[in-house]
Parts: sequence; C-alpha cells; structure tokens
Amino acid sequence: MCISAGIDVGSGAVKAVVMDHSGAGAAILGASSSRIRRREVSHVVDEVWHAAIAEAGVRRVDYVATTGEGEDIPFATGHFYGMTTHARGALFLEPRARAVLDVGALHSRAVRMDERGKVLGYKMTSQCASGSGQFLENIARYLGVSQAEVGALSLASKEPEKVSSICAVLAETDVINMVSRGISTPDILRGIHESMAGRFARLLRSLDPADVVFVSGGLSSDTGLLAAIGDALAGAAAKSGGSVAELTTDPRAIQAGAIGAALWGAFRYRKLGLGGVAWTA
Amino acid sequence: MSRASIAQWAKELYEDLDFSVVRRWRENNPGRKAIGYLPVYAPREILHACGCLPVGIHGGGDRLEIIKGDAFYQSYICHLPRSVIELGQSGRLDMLSGVLFPSTCDVIRNLSGMWKLLYPEHYVRYIDVPQVADPRIATDFWAGELRRLLSDLGELSGHVPGEEELRASLALYNDLRQAIRELYAARSEAPWTVPSEELYLLLRAGELIPPEEFLAKIREYLAAARAEPGRMRDNSRVIVVGSFCEQPPLGLIKTIERAGCYIVDDDFILGNRFLVEDVPLEGDPIEGLAAAFIQSAVKSSVVYEPDPEGKRTLLKAQVEAARADGVIFAAASFCDPALLDRPMLKDGAEKAGIPCIAFKFSENSGQFQQFREQAGTFSDSIKLWGGV
Repeated sequence: MCISAGIDVGSGAVKAVVMDHSGAGAAILGASSSRIRRREVSHVVDEVWHAAIAEAGVRRVDYVATTGEGEDIPFATGHFYGMTTHARGALFLEPRARAVLDVGALHSRAVRMDERGKVLGYKMTSQCASGSGQFLENIARYLGVSQAEVGALSLASKEPEKVSSICAVLAETDVINMVSRGISTPDILRGIHESMAGRFARLLRSLDPADVVFVSGGLSSDTGLLAAIGDALAGAAAKSGGSVAELTTDPRAIQAGAIGAALWGAFRYRKLGLGGVAWTA
Repeated sequence: MSRASIAQWAKELYEDLDFSVVRRWRENNPGRKAIGYLPVYAPREILHACGCLPVGIHGGGDRLEIIKGDAFYQSYICHLPRSVIELGQSGRLDMLSGVLFPSTCDVIRNLSGMWKLLYPEHYVRYIDVPQVADPRIATDFWAGELRRLLSDLGELSGHVPGEEELRASLALYNDLRQAIRELYAARSEAPWTVPSEELYLLLRAGELIPPEEFLAKIREYLAAARAEPGRMRDNSRVIVVGSFCEQPPLGLIKTIERAGCYIVDDDFILGNRFLVEDVPLEGDPIEGLAAAFIQSAVKSSVVYEPDPEGKRTLLKAQVEAARADGVIFAAASFCDPALLDRPMLKDGAEKAGIPCIAFKFSENSGQFQQFREQAGTFSDSIKLWGGV
C-alpha cells in the first residue's frame, strides 16, 4: 500500500491531491485548490495541503511530490517538472489522450506523450502573457464579468469581434476600444477566446498531436475557450487536409499537475523501495 | 558556528567585490604582499612560503556592470577577462602587488600582456604550465619555472623561504586539499547535507583568505554539516563538467539543485583540487611540487592528454566514482578549452550509456528559466525512464 500526494504550485493557484495506490489502479482520496491572490505562497500551500489531507482522511503520506514552483516545499520527497506531471495527470483522467494542452495563469504549453506518459515533445507560449489565464482574467475584470460567466457568455456570441493583436497590452487596449464602440460582451469574449485558441492550435499542430488532446490547467473549465480551440483545430485541419484531433477535458483537469505528481511519486516510491514516510499528521 | 552561518559568512566574502577581507589582511600584516592569480592552476604553495596572501581572481560574476572591460575584448571572447579588466580599471584590485596568469588559454595569456601594459607597478607573470608528454622533460621544465617564480616572489616580498618553510607550505596545502576532498566526499555521500551552493561559497571564500583560516573553516563546516544532517530528497545525481575557469553564477548552481539534480561532483574552482595526490615532503620541495603536478594533475581540459582515448573514457570513470546518474556539461560561452573537449567527452559518455545534457552560461547570466527547464526535465527523465 502506498499513499502519495502531489502539490502543484502554479503562478495563480496551488493545487493538492492525495492518492491511494493500494489496489490495481490509483484513486484520489482528497483534493483541494486555492487561488494565491497576493497571499504568501507558503500560507496557501499550508491551507491547500491540510484541506486535501483532511478530505483524504489519512494520517501519513509515503511520498510527497511537488511540481510547478513547488521546489522549496520543505516536506517534499521529490520534485517533477510541470510537463512531466501534466502528461501523466492527463493520461490518468483520459487514458486515450496522447497530447495535453496546459493553460495556466502565466504560461501555456502543449505536450505530446506516449501511452505511458513519457513526454515526447513540448512547446510553450513565449513570455508574452496573452496566451494565459491571467490575461483572460484581466479582460473579464475590465468587462465586469466573473470568471465563471466567461465561458457561457462567449458561447452566446453571434458576431465575434476579432482582436487585432497577440500582445496582451495591446489586446487590452483593443478591448477598451471595443467597449467604447458598443461591442457586446459575448462578442468581445469570443474574439479574445479565438485569439488565444489560434495560438494554442499553432502550438498543438507544431507537435502534430494524435487523436485525443486533453486540456488541463486553470482554463480547462472555460467552455467558451474549449469551443474556440476546437474550432481553431478544425479550421487548421480543413486548411491542411489533416485529421481533426478530439479535444477533451475533465472537471478535475485543474488538478492534472498535482495528480501527475502524486502518480509519479508513487512510481518512485515503489521503484526505490522506499520504506520511510514523508509526512505524518 | 552553524552551517547556515558559515555559508552566510562565505557569501558575504563572495559578494564583496571590493575584496575588503584582503585589504584588512594587508592592514593587519604591514609589509606583506597579496598576489592574485587567474584560473585554473597556480602554485599557491610558493606564494604562501614567501609570506604572500594568494588571492584568487574569478571575475565579477553577475554583480559587476562592465563599463570599461568590453572595450578590451571582441564579442566572441568569454566574459571572465572583461570583468577582470573591469575590476582592475575600477581600482578594486589595487591592493594586489602582483598577478599570476596561468596558461589556461590564449585569452588569459593575452590578459597577462594587457596587465603588464596597464599596471606596470604590478609584478605580472605568465605561468607556463607544462604541456609536455615526456614526464622527465616536463618536470625539469616546471621545476625551473617554479624556481624562477620563487626567486621573483622572494625579491618582491623581501623574504626568500628556506627549504623547511617551503615544506611547511607544501604540507599545509596537502592538508587543505585533503580537507577539500573530504568536503567533496561528504557532499557525494549525502548531498542534502552539503548543498552545492554552500560548498561553492565556501570554496570562493577560501580564495580570499589565508589557507590556514580556510582549512579551519572547512573543518568547522564539515562538523556543522554532520551535526545538521538535513533531509534527503528524491533527486537524481549529476556531475557538472566544464566550469573550471569562468565560474557559473551562484543562481545557476542553485537552479540545477532546485530543479532536482544533486550535484555530486564538479570542476568549479578546479585549482583547489588540481593535484590529486599529496606533494611529497621529502627531498627538494620544488622538485617535489613539480613532480606532483606532472604525476598527479587532475585530468582536465587545460592539461595535455597524451592518450587519444583518454578524453572519451574520462567521464565514465568520474561518473562511476561519484555514483552519478548523468552529466551536465555547463561551460562558459566561448570557453575554448571546455567547448573543444565537450564533443569528445560527450561522445565517450553517451557511448557508455550515461545520460547527458549541455548548456552554456556566462558568469553574469541572470535568467535561469531555460537552465531550470533543462535540468528539471533531465532529472525527470533519469528518475522515470532511466535505470535509477
């Protein structure tokens, strides 16, 4: 029996899961996440960790694996790089997935993997933040809508307004102009989604993803963005004559990095034959 | 002192580009000289025996803005000589009475010429470290060079040491190298107890203080490390190769370890460990020091390798000795000795099935994200898909 945990410290939120590996497969016992929102990251880690442990109802964890910016968590057993954990987490949530698109607060990346979760290639957005969750959050704030409303509003768009720039600063200026021109909120949001989706589609196509692409990260629950990515992939495939990848996600996709870390942690625990316990209540 | 407080002490010395500790030594030891030396190997025993303070000059790192240094070098030359010129031109090295320039590469040789022109009041010496295959000829040549240096420094310092004084310096540096070997062994055994960042800072501090103090500080650190064992992490074990001259920024060393790679061997400040075995204390001390170099100099890019296969088999032996899982080639941009050797070293390592990655840095590199990505994914690939 092995209990492992994964803690994913992102630039916008901290996520933690506790997993049980006693059976043939692995099961999530507890999970928690919280936005950082100008708080001390170590405090958010404490909060999320204790919430996940409480939900799991365990008093010991054999291997605590960190990912993202979590290298300095003092009780960690080991650290794994973000694309390694997102690839493994995506595979756990969707076994057919052979590529993952991780849309985080500051960066987005496309990862291609095999059926074991081994990373075969990856591409990241450049340093510009216009392909990230933080950018979308800023836009939503300017428009006076909550994050939860963004997806549905975007899907209601009738005449998407094209965003002329891929630069976050200029795109934000565009949005202000659109508001003053009386463009509706759904059309602005859909335009933003299409702009982001175009970038993601280019990332994914550069990796030549196979059939199923899993979307993870904080924006995986944004239905408007998912629809726009699906359309962008279909449009690109129609142009090139290639096949269209199936886009999928899961309600737990925001936890994909933490899940992947916990799974790799358990793998290492067994591989090394570790006898010790990483954390006890 | 605790491990953390020793590391903090060392960091303050490392960050002080005014070399206050050297200046204080000179104030406290009126009439005695401080002599600088460039990487990689300088016979510090002779400086010490002459009553001088050997001072390692390793550039300005990422803490010095280069204003004048760039005017002396083309853009395809490494960063170290620019920052050394900058240190000199800004008066930060004016407490030195001389500087030794070992024959590490053409750039350092040319720097010795510049120094002669810029600072005629300094004793400037190009140290022609032997690169001869015949050990008898090489030893004779090197002993002659060491005697010339001894004579020059004796005149400069006003103190020509006798044989017993020379033997005492040889013995002190034997002890120092042994202590450094123990430090490296302790890190290799339990790298979570001796973080590479702290080991490196300690080595850098040791370049600025008398060897007796450095030796005491290493022993103090080792005792503190044993008392504070730390917590082991599931990291991979790597050796870092190619940083023997221009030094990596401290942030790079920290980044490699934070990304999941314990550094269990390296060639940072290699002059400290250049002689693998003790210098014999019997017989003529100069002959002994010369013979020790010829017979037991560490295999590195700045020493002639007569065996055509030598470079290809070197890393396999090093990796086995350090029980490492992989090799990180980290050389300074435009470092000819390191980058010319890299293909042979890498080829040999890969043929031996040793995972490798390679990158280049500059002593003033400030962005470490790309190194973090490379080291992080390297560690993952070793831990998840390698034999570890």
